Amino acid sequence: MNLRIGVVGAGGFGRAIAQASARHGHEVVVWSRKDRELLDPIQTSTDIRSIRDCELIFMAVPARHAIEAAEQLGEVVDGRHLMVHISRGLIGPELRTITKVIAEKTVCRRLGALAGPLVADALAEGRPSGAILGTGFPELTEMVRDALGGSELRVYDTPDVVGVELASATVGFLTVVLAYAEEVGVGPSTLAVLATRGMVEVSRIGQTLGAEESTFMGLAGLGDLIAAVAGDERPEIRLGRALAKGATLSNAVGEAGAYIEGIEVAAQMMEHARRLGLETPISSTFVALSQGRISSDDAIHALMERRVGRE
Amino acid sequence: MLKRFLSERPLRLPHLKPYVPRPSDPSIFWFNSERDDVISDVVNRICAAHETDRARLEMALNDAAFHEIRRLEKQRDQEARDRLGYWRSMIRRIGKMDDTEQRRVLHTIVTNMARDIAGNFDPRVYRFARLAAPRLIGGVMEPRRFTEGLMAGSPASLDRVLRVQGDLDHLRNLQNRGSLVFVPTHSSNLDSIVLSQALETSGLPPVIYGAGKNLFTNPIISFFMHNLGAYRVDRRIQVSLYKRVLKLYSQVMIERGYHSLFFPGGTRSRSGMIDRHLKLGLLGSAVGAFTANRVRRVDRPVWFVPTTINYALVLEAETLVKDWLTEEGQARYIIEDDEFSRIDRWFAFFRKMVGMRGGCIIRFGEPIDPFGNAVDTEGQSLTPTGRSIDAGGYVEHRGKAVVDAARDAAYTRELGEVLAQRFQKETLLMSTQVVAHVLFRDFVQSTPGMDLFARMRLRGEIGVDSETLCRELGEARERLLALERQGRVRTSEVVKEDSPEELLERALSFWNGYHDSTAATRQGDRIVIGDPSLLLYYQNRLVPFAPDIASPEQLKAACEIELLGGHQ
Repeated sequence: MNLRIGVVGAGGFGRAIAQASARHGHEVVVWSRKDRELLDPIQTSTDIRSIRDCELIFMAVPARHAIEAAEQLGEVVDGRHLMVHISRGLIGPELRTITKVIAEKTVCRRLGALAGPLVADALAEGRPSGAILGTGFPELTEMVRDALGGSELRVYDTPDVVGVELASATVGFLTVVLAYAEEVGVGPSTLAVLATRGMVEVSRIGQTLGAEESTFMGLAGLGDLIAAVAGDERPEIRLGRALAKGATLSNAVGEAGAYIEGIEVAAQMMEHARRLGLETPISSTFVALSQGRISSDDAIHALMERRVGRE
Repeated sequence: MLKRFLSERPLRLPHLKPYVPRPSDPSIFWFNSERDDVISDVVNRICAAHETDRARLEMALNDAAFHEIRRLEKQRDQEARDRLGYWRSMIRRIGKMDDTEQRRVLHTIVTNMARDIAGNFDPRVYRFARLAAPRLIGGVMEPRRFTEGLMAGSPASLDRVLRVQGDLDHLRNLQNRGSLVFVPTHSSNLDSIVLSQALETSGLPPVIYGAGKNLFTNPIISFFMHNLGAYRVDRRIQVSLYKRVLKLYSQVMIERGYHSLFFPGGTRSRSGMIDRHLKLGLLGSAVGAFTANRVRRVDRPVWFVPTTINYALVLEAETLVKDWLTEEGQARYIIEDDEFSRIDRWFAFFRKMVGMRGGCIIRFGEPIDPFGNAVDTEGQSLTPTGRSIDAGGYVEHRGKAVVDAARDAAYTRELGEVLAQRFQKETLLMSTQVVAHVLFRDFVQSTPGMDLFARMRLRGEIGVDSETLCRELGEARERLLALERQGRVRTSEVVKEDSPEELLERALSFWNGYHDSTAATRQGDRIVIGDPSLLLYYQNRLVPFAPDIASPEQLKAACEIELLGGHQ
């Protein structure tokens, strides 16, 4: 079927989605705050009303702009629209997910979250890749497969929307942790322990927010983490390495060259876990490390000294 | 025998002259003329869904026979003696039946189920109940004024006890434009009675609702329920087909414009906490009704009215909390031997309530469409910034309204979440609940490291200085009022206006003399916890707000209390 697709945000992912959709023969309009010029036949606009006639909308903005973008979309969308976001962050200490924000600010209800080992370049160029779509609406899955899929992208789906969003947000933070550890010389065995126990830690918190454990162990969680450490050159890797070399957090963020939501997510998770009386050894140690309160040796020592239990 | 007869065939009054409804009558007055049509609509739709798929049809028949045999073998009563043979013989024959025979059997089973579920509405019984109910309840509350009450209109005692809040004009505006579905919190078997009374006094229409078949065993309650539009739900029947018939019956009634009432919590809150994990079956039937009307281009929208029923004293509190605290509680869905079935407890309860102003407050929240949006006075759905939208768009696929069960199930899940949030915002915290929470928090703080069940055994051992308690009560109330200003919670007028000392005395007075054991008593300058489980029951209403109304020193105990609510 031929769809009219709207993309909100003209960053790396926004442009990649527009290119992939146009390549599959769909009509695409990209909205951004600044004037942009994209390859023909992709239309661009700075007027949010240009999105109104689209059936499927992709919201591709960082989490910190999600509220503003959702408020603007709220002025033009209605019950007919289907919407997917690709943000990797969470909002506020209560770990509000982006779909919750969209549901609060707009009347759009057929929502989904696209995540997993999806990389903008691969999507734009049509290289084989995979992703996971969290949505309760099978018709939305069908539309996203039509828009982006084909033989190049395998889009799996799950009804565990909150799980996909939480897993996706926490993978960013775990990627920074692993890059840091690798840079300070931690061996493969310790890296594996950090990765798996880190995933268990975030999934435990995720479950308190209604997520399913299995989602963290699938494409949205472990799958995405494997892609990150296998070398798809994410900014989180650069951030972790810079921190390990002794850079301050602000300098390391500058060196990474992109806004990284993982650090904020770790602090928000710690606050949430503290309220519930849950232990978050890896997140807490990493936050202390990134703030320069402890050294890397202290961090490893503190984690290794902890009581060992059943997996 | 009589009990069974009444539960099988509820009494109806003879019809000498058929009642012809007037145009101004509420929609339910038309029900009896449509009853057979509704039943055949339900039967036809179920049978049509099985018509072309023999495997599905055979599965439905096998499932029905299997579950019914299992139920009746356990029941070992007259119904078992009458029906067990039929099902045993049927299950042997299913595989040998041809398509026509299987469809005929399905038709018979579904028709019997639909007939058993469908209610009745007798305008004479309705008029009698309208006149008599408030006076009888008033009489129970104040026996000395019983005769006076019978002669007067709505007795003053009833008005004193039962208060109604909410934008009633808005609801009255909507009642003739579509179907209203009232979805209340559920604490007591009195809920449907007080809610019917609240609808009546507020000028809102009578509603149809599902009532457990166990309630039909009391001949008086059975007579009224059956003749006031209630449909019967037999929770013992586990047959999938029965659940489909029940949901479809509800859907067809809503499609046809009958206002409805569901308790989405499914059963009375055993813990006293605000209903949070809602059952979606009947909610889904209302969403399905919206879709079905849109697909058929019938302009009859459906709106939900989140409603909270708030008691300062709960008739069945002791049984409910005991049930929650015991493992047995997990399995006991229907309680038949609680305070609701004891008339002496009714008298004691109402007498206690009438002595206190505003002991029961029903709050009708703002109506919402099936997709969680606010609606204006015309019933038009609104965006968060107040723009009107056509709710029909939600059931369109590429510009056309279509039936999509998976989509509607997803909408229903989201509606359940919206309603749970609305319950939290629309619940009125009552004096007994606020006092219980502050006292329970002190209890938790003074017993660190102890688990809930160990605490429940500490009867009459823990006390708090009355002056300290009143100071903490005042501080907690101030924090609650700050939350109320943010729109996160509501408190009763008594909580807002009374001094902490008055609040404490009021709570003690409510508890003492009604429950068999007391939550707390005054012993000199100290308030001593009597039955911690009762205290727990009343305080549980405040579980979601515990950390927000605690001081830094109380935060640890408050977080422990918050965990009682479990995670999301």
